[in-house]
Amino acid sequence: MKKIWRTAVHGPWPYWVGAMVLGGLNILVLLVRKRPWGVTSNLQDWAVWLAHLLGLASERIPVSQLLLAEGTYLNLGVVLGALWAALAASQWRFRPLRQRKFGFSALIGGLFLGYGARIAYGCNVGGLLNGIASSSLTGWVFALAVFLGTWIGAKILLKFLV
Amino acid sequence: MSPMVKNQRYWNWAFMSVMFFFFLLLAQINWKLALNLGLGIGLGFALEKSRFCFVAAFRDPILTGMTALSQAVILLLGVSILGFALVAGSGQGYALNVYPLGANTIVGGLLFGIGMVLAGGCASGILMRIGEGFAMQMLALAGALVGVFFGERSLRWWQGWGWEQPGIFLPAKLGWLSTLSLEMAVLVALWLLARWWQNR
Repeated sequence: MKKIWRTAVHGPWPYWVGAMVLGGLNILVLLVRKRPWGVTSNLQDWAVWLAHLLGLASERIPVSQLLLAEGTYLNLGVVLGALWAALAASQWRFRPLRQRKFGFSALIGGLFLGYGARIAYGCNVGGLLNGIASSSLTGWVFALAVFLGTWIGAKILLKFLV
Repeated sequence: MSPMVKNQRYWNWAFMSVMFFFFLLLAQINWKLALNLGLGIGLGFALEKSRFCFVAAFRDPILTGMTALSQAVILLLGVSILGFALVAGSGQGYALNVYPLGANTIVGGLLFGIGMVLAGGCASGILMRIGEGFAMQMLALAGALVGVFFGERSLRWWQGWGWEQPGIFLPAKLGWLSTLSLEMAVLVALWLLARWWQNR
């Protein structure tokens, strides 16, 4: 029992345990929200809000609406949950960039993944996992395209970064 | 135990106390928001502890030939498909993720796939690694915010390329039983493929 507790707090959990826990929570999110877990549509609302603040977008999303959005707390929760997981195991620390090129890679990669997610209606969570979980053909096609994209990305990674 | 361990134990208690009061405050404003925060924390905790990563599940078979995470993602897909079918099939008022299918799906998936490898995390993975303290994914989030903004602006344009709206909901075409059998068969085939790929 003590050993199970230790692994639960300090990790790592076996992948299949992670998959079962994430699957259970994913279904609970659907029950609570009446729609599936997603990450980027909430990020999009915040991005539009930020753009308006900087004078780059005409439409205005009131911050009160964002602060009362369920997606905001799901996303915030993921950050806080990971922080807590690291802290509980005394593994939290700030991890600076190892090399400057990884900073560029992160910015450009973020730009690509953000754009791709929004034109395809979802990221790995909302589009792929829950597109497929919703038995939508779009989810399966998206998964195939993401796999091909990953393959191209891996080639780029090997050529320029590693 | 190292002195570092003792050190973070107090930070952990402080963090949990702040979270507790934040949760209570949120529950007084709207209990549903508090519930969402709790679920998000659970998801983030589970992602971190199991080192779950969608990028690695897609990338590692190509880079290293390892498919342990890919197999876990297949399991997660299977659990979610059955759970969603049970929930949405028995209850009313659930809005599932059935979205338009078109060139946007393919191009978006390709760009998303390339981007997540370069950024070192997909959307949920970026959030998880920010929680762990990675500077790289903080930059990736900044890039992603710009990306989603441009994506939102160009969605109309992609619509011009033609797409099937409102998207194909397989159970409406094939019925629930055939859909679920087909999907489970595909997942089992993918799982066998993943196992074979690793043991090759």
